[in-house]
Amino acid sequence: MSANQTSPSKSSTQQFRLISIVVAGMLGFTSSQSVAFDFKGALKDAVEKEISQQSEGSTAPTNAVSTTESAKSNNSTASSEATFNWKNPSTAEEITLGREIAGNLLGAAPLVKDAALQKYVNSVGRWVASQSERPELPWRFGVIESEDLNAFAAPGGYIMLTKGLYRKLQNEAQLAGVLGHEIAHVVKKHQLKVLQKQQLLNIGAGLLSDKYAKDNAMISKAIGSGAEISARSLDKSAEYEADRLGLSYATRAGYEPYGLTDVLQTLGQSNTSDASVALLFKTHPHPDERLSALSESVGGQLDKMTNGKTLEKRFYLLK
Amino acid sequence: MKHYLKQLLIAGSLIPILYVGMSSAAEKASALKNDSLRTEPYADAKISGSFVRGESLEIIKKQGAWLQVKAKKGSGWVRLLSVKRGVTASSNQAAGVLAVASGRAGTGQVVSTTGVRGLSEQELKAAKFNEEEVKTLESYTLSAEKGRAFAKAGNLNSVAFKNLKEVKGGAQ
Repeated sequence: MSANQTSPSKSSTQQFRLISIVVAGMLGFTSSQSVAFDFKGALKDAVEKEISQQSEGSTAPTNAVSTTESAKSNNSTASSEATFNWKNPSTAEEITLGREIAGNLLGAAPLVKDAALQKYVNSVGRWVASQSERPELPWRFGVIESEDLNAFAAPGGYIMLTKGLYRKLQNEAQLAGVLGHEIAHVVKKHQLKVLQKQQLLNIGAGLLSDKYAKDNAMISKAIGSGAEISARSLDKSAEYEADRLGLSYATRAGYEPYGLTDVLQTLGQSNTSDASVALLFKTHPHPDERLSALSESVGGQLDKMTNGKTLEKRFYLLK
Repeated sequence: MKHYLKQLLIAGSLIPILYVGMSSAAEKASALKNDSLRTEPYADAKISGSFVRGESLEIIKKQGAWLQVKAKKGSGWVRLLSVKRGVTASSNQAAGVLAVASGRAGTGQVVSTTGVRGLSEQELKAAKFNEEEVKTLESYTLSAEKGRAFAKAGNLNSVAFKNLKEVKGGAQ
């Protein structure tokens, strides 16, 4: 933690500059943010290093919050201004960002109007999230109105799965496995890191000027149009990692460990040309590849985990 | 005579159905990795054969986390995570044919839901932030204590299990 924050005054000026550049960059390059990626490989490496250092250090979330709070008061003349520390976002900032993304996704597909269903999914999700490395987040889960088969995670603990995917599930262990995968994306900050990288690259490339620093809609600019961020792929390695952790969390929660792999078996048998799995298949490795990777990682480690529960009797059936 | 013909016709149309039913009695599967077959569903049981990744298998029986399968080189027990159930994706044309027959092909079930935009890339891009829905979503948030109570009600106990690690040289 200490290495990155030796000089608070220096970091807050940097942060200020960083933010202003981001905003200007968003305005100037909204249609082609990827331009920045082509600039310099060295810059990209530096940014990646920076992000990985920061996320190692921010495993203690309370510290991260307080650091940013003080940084905020240092540099803002008008306190109502929205600022965002892309270099080392606090938990509060992460949640703000996730809320924006979740809200956009809900704009495309609202929640299923079934409070009992939503409550059930939140109960299972909350229990599984408590087995993760970030149990203190305000985890929220929702089933959304779509016959697609998919699930989404946004920074700060916003997790949604489609009604179509829920319908394919047969028991609580399978739900726990799916939610575990999404929880892992949040825990590992996969999506947040992608956004950070993009913003820091824009900044480092010096594409921006201080002129637009007072823009307060910068978060929505950073995530692009609507919920398109939710249609973007993560690294394949991030998906495999989320599978490994998701299975681990569900297993620790006392569920039968094969919930996630059951669902992957089902997904693997869907017709790849079916529209309901088009986005899922585009943004994830094929279920067969994911099963193979999981199988290699598991080896014999589940041999003794024979008391896990599936709880199909308690599983909430869609109306 | 007419009656007899009709019966024959019915019987004839039943044959393919029966045939399909019989052929799926032993479930088709394929190997997700190279693995050994064992004489019993235990890791330390005697090896009775082996298979390689991608090889076609037949599932005979399931017991706990183990499957009894038939492979090219013998049959025996293997951990269920070494096996992909069903036929391989490439030969999965039957589903497509069925979809055409039932008129569902191409329509994508997405469109049929009333009042919902759908989740294609374009539709996601056009989505507008919905404050009311986020508030509803947030209203369902539960405390860790509530989660624990729910687990207890289902007789779920947290158990020790270390996070799985990436295996180098695996299928990735």
